[in-house]
This record gives sequence, C-alpha cells and structure tokens, in this order.
Amino acid sequence: MFNNNLKIAWRSLRTNRLFSGINILGLSLGLAITIVLFLFISYERSFDTEYEQKKDIFRVLVHTDESYDKQVLCTAPAAVAPALKTDIPTVKKAARILRHGFGETAFVKVGNTNFLEKELYWCDPELFEIFNIQIVEGKSYKALERPNTVALSQSTAKKYFGGENPIGKTILVDNEDHLEVIGVFKDFASNSSISYNAIGSFSSTFAYKEPSWGNSSFETYVQLEPNASVATTEMQMQTVLDKNVDKAGQWFSFSLQPLEKVHLFSAGYVNSYSNNIGDIAEIRNLTFLALLILLIACVNYMNLMTAKSQKRTKDVGINKTLGASSKSLVVRFYAETGLVTFISLLIGIGISALLIPAFNAITGQELQISLLLRVEMLLGLGLFWLITSLVAGSYPAFYLSRSSPKAVLNTGTNSGKGVITLRKGLVVLQFAASVVLIVAVTVINQQLQFMQQQKLGYEPENTIAVTTGGIRGAAIKQTLVEEFKSLSSVSDVAMAQGFPGISVSGRMLFKNENDESGLQLSTNHSDAEVIELLKLKLLAGKTLPLVKQEGDTLIEVVLNKKAIDYLGYSPKEAIGKNVLIGGFGNKARITGIVDDFNYESLHRPIGAYAFHNFRSEAKSFVLMRVKSADLTETLNQLKSTFESVISDAAFEYVFLDKNMERLYAQERKTAFMGLIFCVLAIFVACLGLFGLAAYTAEQRKKEIGVRKVLGASVLGIAQMLSKDFLKLVLVAVTIAFPMAYWLMTKWLQDFAYRVDLGWTVFALAGILALFIALFTVSFQAISAALANPVKSLRTE
Amino acid sequence: MLLQLRNIFKWVQQGGQRVFLLKDINLEVAEGEFISIMGPSGSGKSTLLNVIGMLDTFDEGEYDFLSESVHTLKEKYRSNLYKEYIGFVFQSYHLLDDLTVEENLEMPLLYKKVKGSERKALVADMLDRFNIVGKKDLFPTQLSGGQQQLVGIARALIGNPKLILADEPTGNLNSQQSEEIMELFKKLNKEDGVTIIQVTHSEKNAGYGSRIINLLDGRKI
Repeated sequence: MFNNNLKIAWRSLRTNRLFSGINILGLSLGLAITIVLFLFISYERSFDTEYEQKKDIFRVLVHTDESYDKQVLCTAPAAVAPALKTDIPTVKKAARILRHGFGETAFVKVGNTNFLEKELYWCDPELFEIFNIQIVEGKSYKALERPNTVALSQSTAKKYFGGENPIGKTILVDNEDHLEVIGVFKDFASNSSISYNAIGSFSSTFAYKEPSWGNSSFETYVQLEPNASVATTEMQMQTVLDKNVDKAGQWFSFSLQPLEKVHLFSAGYVNSYSNNIGDIAEIRNLTFLALLILLIACVNYMNLMTAKSQKRTKDVGINKTLGASSKSLVVRFYAETGLVTFISLLIGIGISALLIPAFNAITGQELQISLLLRVEMLLGLGLFWLITSLVAGSYPAFYLSRSSPKAVLNTGTNSGKGVITLRKGLVVLQFAASVVLIVAVTVINQQLQFMQQQKLGYEPENTIAVTTGGIRGAAIKQTLVEEFKSLSSVSDVAMAQGFPGISVSGRMLFKNENDESGLQLSTNHSDAEVIELLKLKLLAGKTLPLVKQEGDTLIEVVLNKKAIDYLGYSPKEAIGKNVLIGGFGNKARITGIVDDFNYESLHRPIGAYAFHNFRSEAKSFVLMRVKSADLTETLNQLKSTFESVISDAAFEYVFLDKNMERLYAQERKTAFMGLIFCVLAIFVACLGLFGLAAYTAEQRKKEIGVRKVLGASVLGIAQMLSKDFLKLVLVAVTIAFPMAYWLMTKWLQDFAYRVDLGWTVFALAGILALFIALFTVSFQAISAALANPVKSLRTE
Repeated sequence: MLLQLRNIFKWVQQGGQRVFLLKDINLEVAEGEFISIMGPSGSGKSTLLNVIGMLDTFDEGEYDFLSESVHTLKEKYRSNLYKEYIGFVFQSYHLLDDLTVEENLEMPLLYKKVKGSERKALVADMLDRFNIVGKKDLFPTQLSGGQQQLVGIARALIGNPKLILADEPTGNLNSQQSEEIMELFKKLNKEDGVTIIQVTHSEKNAGYGSRIINLLDGRKI
C-alpha cells in the first residue's frame, strides 16, 4: 500500500507537470531561504558553547552612572580581576584582556618581514585555564607570566615563521617591544567570542604594576566555583568596590554576564573587544521571518493542491466506491505531500548551497553548507520535512478526503465560501507585502544613489590615506612625504591626523568665556596642503601657514562655515579673529574659512570642523591625491617608495571614497536583503495568485461555457476573469501604500541628507504589482476562455 | 432474498416545500435477478440506484440487505457492507486516470487488503477473462470508450460482489459497443449468477434483463 501511494503520488505529479513544477519550485525556494536563515541562527546560537567550563565563565560588565550616560561597558578597570580573585572565595579564576593600542593595528616585524596584526591582545595567563586554550607547541602558557613574551595561534605562527619552530624566537611590535614567542596555541573556533591571533603577556603592559580603578579598558573574564551563586558573587563584588573606591568616586557598578550571553546579548554595550557581535533581536526577527516564509510556502502549496479540486474530488469519490476509507485517502494525500516536500527539500538544500556564498559576502558571516551534515542539523531537516508535510498536507488531506462518494455522481461541487475568502485574503496580504518591499527597495536604492552622487564639499576620488601610525620619528615621516611628492603620479601630499570618513578629535568651541554650552568641534591636526588636497572651497582667508616656527605658541585654525555661523561671524569678518577652543587655551587664531563639507556619513548633519597646527595629536596618515591613469601601477610605486624609506612598518592604505562607502555598508546590506525578499515575496505572491486563478477558473468552468454559448468572446471572458484579481491587487496596493510610506519615512529619518519620497515610487510599485498580477492571471484566464464550452457543459 | 426496500421516501426542501425524489418505493430483489430501472429524466432512477448502493441516504422507510437492516447501520458499517458485496459501473466509466488498466483493476483489492500474490493472480485472471491482457499497461485515456467500460466492469467484478449496480453503463457508447457490454452483463448474470441492477433509457437494453421497474416522479408504476 505504501509503495502504491508513492506511485500514485508520483503519477499525479507527472500528469500535472506545470502545477507540480511551480509548486515544488515555490516550496524549494521557501525552504532554501528558511534553511539559510536557520543555519545562520544555529551558528549564532552556537557561539561559545564548546568551552568546557562555559557554565562557570562570566564577563565582568561595568554599568556607568548618569555622568557617563548610563552606559554598559564590556571592559573593566585593571584592578578588578586581582581584587575579585583575592577577596571573593567563589571567584576561582580571573583574567584581564587589553586590546593592543586600544584597537590600533600592530606593526609586527619578524626578521626582515613586516606584518600587520589586528588581533594582538595582552592577557593574564589564567585566560588559558578559563577557556581551556590548548598549547600545541612550547612548554606551557605559564611562561606568559614573564613580561615581553607572546603566544601565537597556529595559523599566525605559520604566517610569521613559515615551517620553522617559532619557540624562543622574537617578534618586534610597533618597533618598540621585542617579544619572545613562548608557545603556539590552537586557533580559536570561528564561533568563539574571543578570537585572538597573538596573546602577549599582560605583565608587559603599563597597567600591570599599578592597576587602577579608574581606567575601564580591560575586558575581564572570571571563572566561578561550580554552582556558585551569581547574585551573591555580584553582591560581594559591590563590597570589593566599596573597599577600594570611596562612594563619591564610584561612577560605576558591576554585574556578571554569563559567557553564553556574551555573543547575542551585548548589542547595546560599548567597548566590546569581540569583532563578531550578534544580536538576539535580529535572531528573533529572523526566526519569525523564517517560520513565516515556511508558512506562506505551505499555504501556497495547499492553494495549488486544491486548485485542481474537481478532478481530485472525483478521484476521491471513485476510490470511495471502490472501498477506500477516509483514513487511507488521508494517508495517500500525505504521501503525495511528503513526496513533494521531500523533493523540494532536496532542491531547497541545493539552492541554499548557492545562496550561502552570497549571504556570506553580504553579511560577512562564515556559514558553510557542510554544517548541514551535522547530526543535529540532519535531525532538524528531518523535522522540517515532517512539519512542512504535516502543515502543507493537512488541508488537502482532510478537506478533500471528506468528500462523499456521491460527488462522483453529481458534478458541479461547491466548495465553502469561507475557504475562498481566506485564500483571497492571503493573496491580498502577499501582494501588499510585495508592494511594500518594492517601494522599500526602490527608496533604499534611490537613497544610496543619492548619497553617492551627493556633492560632499570635497573630492574623495583618487585620494589615498597611508597609515604611518607605527612609524617613530618625525624626520623619517618628512622624508617619506618628500619622496611621495617627487613621484610624478602624485599631485598633492599632506600629513594629517585623520581624514573625512574617520573620526578625529572632539573638542568644544566657545563664543566667549561665558558661553557655557559650547559647540562640538571636530579638530584635525594637519599640514597646510590638506585644504588644497581635499579640494575644499576656501571662502575667505588662506590655509594654515606652511612653516611653523619653533617656539611659536600661536595656534592657527581653519574653520568651516558651521563653526563661524555659531560664532556669529561672516567669513570675511572671521579672518584674524582669536577663537576659544577647549584645550587650545586662548591661543587659537582663524586664518581661513572653508565651506561646509560632509566629513561624516550622510546620516548626520554637518557639524563644526577645524584644521589646526597645534601639536597635540600625531599626524597618523599621509594623504595623497594621485593622477587616475593607472591606479595599480601608482599603488605599486607608492608601496615601493614606502618600503625604500621605511623598513620596519608595513604599507597600509585606504582610498577615501572606498572608505566612505564602508559607512553605508549597513544600507547596502539592507538593500540587498530587501531585494532578495522582494523577489521572493513577488514570486510567492504570484504562486498564490496563480493557484487562486486556476481554482476559480475551474470553479467557473460551467459559467464560462454558458457565457461562450451565449456569445461571449474569448477576450471578454479573459477580461472578466482577470478583473476580479486585479481588484484584489488594488486592495493590496491600497493597504500597502500607507504602510510603505510610514516605513520608508521612518527609515529615511536616519539620514540627515535624504531623498524625498515622491509619488512616482508608489506609482511605479503599484503598476509593477498590477502588471505582475495581470501576467500571472492571464495564463489561466486565457486558457479558460479558450476552452471548448461543449466539454464543460456536457453532462453525463 | 438479496435486498428488500420497504416504503422508502427521499425528499429535499425547496422553497419551504418538500420535493419528493423517491415516494413510497417497495422493492424486493432476489439473488440472480437482472433488473432494469426505467423512466424519463428526473424520475428518480439514479437516486434509487444510489440508495440501493448505499452511496445516498433516504429519509423514511426500511432497507434490508442480506438481512442486515441498512437504515439502522452506522455509516462505517454501511460502507463496509457495500465494499464487500457491491460493484459499481458508471456511465462515464470513472476509471482513475493516473493509473494503468492493471492498476485500476488492482485498486479494490488493495482496499480489501488482499495479499500481493493473490492480487496479482486475480488481476491476471480478470485481464484474461475480459481479453484485455495486451492493454494492461495502457492508461484509460489511451483506450476507446467501449474498452474503458470493459475495464470498468472488470474492476467492479474483481472483488467478487453479489450485486452489480450500473448507472446507464452504455450511455456513452455506440450501438455495437453497447451490444457487447449488454451481452457481457447477460453472460455474467446467467453463467456466474451475479445479480445486476441497471438504470437505462433504452428499451432494447432493458430487454436483456429479467424484470423492468418503471419510475415516474419518484414513484413506481
């Protein structure tokens, strides 16, 4: 019987090739997207689950008071870890982690080769015990007690030393610290919140000898005794704080965050060292979305399955007169659904394998399809199959198998009105969602395009910033600048602390001594040439002086228009005026005014900006404008020039326009995801509509026959059939427009500079939806209209 | 006695009035009879056949089938009863389009949970008996109307029923095909002792039977 059911199911799939094909495709797509989402979700949920003592590991969180905006910091003061360990018996182990240079790239020199290392951390050796980090070469992590030692991950050791044994060798960090390699540890798993390439000894850092209670920059992990009470430990931590810091100086309090929550529940927290922070809200939304997609796919399946209900009702009737019980028919319909979902699942897995690289590229994740082969995922897929079959098969199975054998004898069955209303509602919803998505994708793309074409007030094209943060000595930097200037492919060169697109120092600008509020001012310590180089528009005055005399205490500043607007000057008036800037004393004088330019992303309005020559910050970048002829060649030239001047640092550069694009990565991601879901939604909506159209065409077969006999034309009937559906789409559009308007207005509010929401977008979306619907329906409408009325009218 | 109907009434409500489909029908059918039900369109022929076949219910009266009182039986037992003893033949054949001739014949046996080897033997016998062995792998749409009806009758017979109910079995066939089918019915009735009740419009076809029942407006005349 089982074989027989499968055989019948297969035959029925084959006879209705078009329907089965559409059905399987729809279900496969839904399943594919659901699989990718679930892979992502399960990957996100797998973070930090491999650590043996995970139940006892906690991160110390620091909650600041009002004076620091009530933030939650993932980093704690250096004094916390040792104090907790000595004073609280339930704290078994504690380790501090300091990110190298507070997040700056480290220049690592091994022998004569330079490397850039972004993942160097200074840690207490107990970190190895807490996280059970395996040492694969070298004696023990205990050697990290000594200052100036380092342990490398396997892949990093291989990168630095090739096949050689690294133990006992030295690496030079930022041309200052010689570190001895004492061990090699196993690479961290990709789903670990802590993931380091190099672990330097904490005893090498400034914070080791005199750990303070003030500077909260150290991520701190503790391991509690098994079964220790977290609440009690947290209370004891407050006692430890009281003991060390008097009440007045306590601008923060502590809490313990379980390791299992570190990845997903830290979205709003600041100062996290982890490069990969998940967000539980996103995970919840995606779970919901995945289930919704699956449900819609299932409902569409039902829609299409029941579209051919007359033939099926007849079959059921015949089978019943032949002795079939309702139960055996339920089993048969489930067998058919099971077969379809199984085929769809296989195709869906195939499609998801194709989707994953795109998903990874867009989201920066490292999902692999091989994850699906794990036992729990296979079980999960099995469960998927079961649930989809049960849900999708329920309607055909129970609705159709109920029909009585009498149905064979009298044709012209009437299915319930309620069911058809439900289906219409579904199609309306699907189309509404499609229209919202069409509007959203269009608006997002318009905004992205707008941001690309927006006059920024400076020219980021062909402008390169070369990092010189790791280079010691002003003389050598000056030589580098001169060398760059001598290149024919370079037109302008200037050193600066930063450039538009990255943050510079924040200071306050005051009107006078009595001005209590002041205005936020971004200050950029830079060379005079920077104005010319960035092609900023000088409204009045001139740039900073080219040469600064030794002992000259005057600070020259070039302000932007926003800044002098605040001060109440016109550009002309401002020149030569002294200006009050926090930290500059009373010694700043305005030499020039530039027009406003977008030095941040277009999310934010332009604020006050100043170029200055006060030696407070280092000029960490050499900015260059290059001639655009052959960029690859130019870059090679720059690299070899850099290496000929500087032997102990690596060449790291960024194009200013590329850097600006990075600021809109989130929008790009949203646009892409939106597009995928838009296409999917339209497709799914079409499936639903197609099913409904097919169903109605069949239901109205007799009516169409009668109309044709009475003289209706093919066109007239096709119109009549299509009109009903277009009404549905119009309803969908009416629902969708206000929603889309509200959503996109909200989205655009995030941008200080934005496109207007024009009616054209809505018109476009509406017309598009209508056309798609018309196209989908016309197939059914025309074939129904063309059918020979003799066939549909023949009674038995 | 195979079956007995006593004072059977069936009606529908239409515009607040009872419209009678069957009115006070009394009928006795002995085993081995070949009965033809005749009457103009709308006289209740098919309704009566459906009631006898237990595909349809009635509103009043008593119905005994093999001395079981059908009117007191629950739906489930009723369907067991017709599964066991009744085979149906339809005007438009009602073969399952997705199945081959052989599989169509096998279907009732599957529902009866007959074992595989026995099933094969029975199907082979039936194919042989109706001379359609060469057609066993064809689908219904590949057959002529007469051939389809042949398969339909073979399918109705395969469960070895006591009673065959045929609703205008030759209605869609030409005269030659009709004759063949009627001859077959006659042969089944005479040689195998199968009881047959057929609904027909044709005097000629009715002549094949042993008894004719005439209906008019739901009443026996």
